[in-house]
Amino acid sequence: MNREFRTTIFTIIAMALCILLQSTILGRVAIRGVRPDLAMLVLVYASLRRGPMVGQVSGFASGFLEDLMNVSPLGFHSLLRTVIGYLFGLLSGNVFIDPFLMPIILAVVATLLKGILSGIVSALFGIESSGFITFTGRLWIEVGYNGIVAPFFFALLNLFKAFKQTDKAGA
Amino acid sequence: MPGLFEGFFARHRKGATLAALVLVSLICLMISNRTLVIKPKEIGLSVAGFFQKGFTGFFTWFGDTAGSIGRLRAAREELAAARARLQEMDQATREVLELRRQNAALKEQLDFAQNLPPERIAAEVIARDTDNLFSTVTINKGSRHGVKKGMPVVAWQGDIEGLVGRVALVGPGSSQVLPLYDPQCIVSARVDTTRDEGLVAGQGKDRGTLVMNYVKKTAKDKIGYGDLVVSSGLGGVYPRGINIGRIRDITAPAYETSLVLQVQPIIDFDRLEYLFLIGPEGEAAAPAVPSPGPQAPPVPKPANPPKAMP
Repeated sequence: MNREFRTTIFTIIAMALCILLQSTILGRVAIRGVRPDLAMLVLVYASLRRGPMVGQVSGFASGFLEDLMNVSPLGFHSLLRTVIGYLFGLLSGNVFIDPFLMPIILAVVATLLKGILSGIVSALFGIESSGFITFTGRLWIEVGYNGIVAPFFFALLNLFKAFKQTDKAGA
Repeated sequence: MPGLFEGFFARHRKGATLAALVLVSLICLMISNRTLVIKPKEIGLSVAGFFQKGFTGFFTWFGDTAGSIGRLRAAREELAAARARLQEMDQATREVLELRRQNAALKEQLDFAQNLPPERIAAEVIARDTDNLFSTVTINKGSRHGVKKGMPVVAWQGDIEGLVGRVALVGPGSSQVLPLYDPQCIVSARVDTTRDEGLVAGQGKDRGTLVMNYVKKTAKDKIGYGDLVVSSGLGGVYPRGINIGRIRDITAPAYETSLVLQVQPIIDFDRLEYLFLIGPEGEAAAPAVPSPGPQAPPVPKPANPPKAMP
């Protein structure tokens, strides 16, 4: 079992745990019903550390799991997370993740990207989602929330050996 | 030829994987949107429900244990108060039984038809949507407990019963409820005081405001701020007489033939804990309007309510 495969499995498990946390106890710290998207932060971090292959495969798997748990159509979250994982994976090896500023920027960009992609997919497939009506208050709350949480969460993820970067990740 | 393909995939491994995963997602979306795929979601819901119950149970237990010492003291005081109240209730129960007996006798004399008792299933909220994109609430009852898709869901907050939404997805041991503020949730409603009918729908982005459309413009002068909106029972999905909310704003657009009423929901959707699912033969058992007082609904009715704005 090579390292890429092990990291992918580890990322999927970490994202699944985050999804469960988001649907249960994180509701207690929600701001106007909006919770931080920890699963997406795991995806962004894993993709940046280990490259696009880990990012897109773990994004697809965790997104599919999320679709099974939600009222969203099957394929909705898997599509969003696959694309986000792939795009952030392309930056692997080219971005230096400092302890504070870069996590905030990455989280903000990822959340905005999620908002834009969900808006496009919703429009294309006629999906009515009550949460994001793209670029309304809820999206901005999530952008801020993810940005605040990201430095601490990235520091936590940095402790895991699975996310340590190789010389040319994902290559 | 196989060598050509192998060479292509070796060179474009990441791009080919991306294309394959995106394609699978798109196919799933197309099929799922036409509601052809049902079973995988039900299976997923039941598996997820299992873990969500575990998570909720564990953290609730942890929180309860930590706070149990302080609550024990409060519980003793409550016990003393409850005992005193029990004595009062005992007396009241005897009176109620006597009244019921008299009522039954009078009904029999008046030849009233007996109404079926409302069938209700109590459920606990175990999870919410995993993402902020959708807005469902997961409950701990499923098809095994008699839950069916489309069942209306109500909740009590304070002394008031209010409509929460309807069951959107049913798994064996858990279900998902679509709340009123979701744009897909549309309820046939009427203004309780004037009996004018319309359709109440969610706006999605704002949990605190529903919109009631298709109310006749001729009702503009009769409808006031703070008037209660209840379900009308038309359409057969929601029983009649369930509280929905109170009118917060009235507009009469010149280009429309009907009024647009903004309604503040009776239910605070962020505080949902226990829900009640109403069976097909169930009728709203609670009185539509609670008595005014300290427990009154969140939107107070002004003394001199202004009428519809142009």
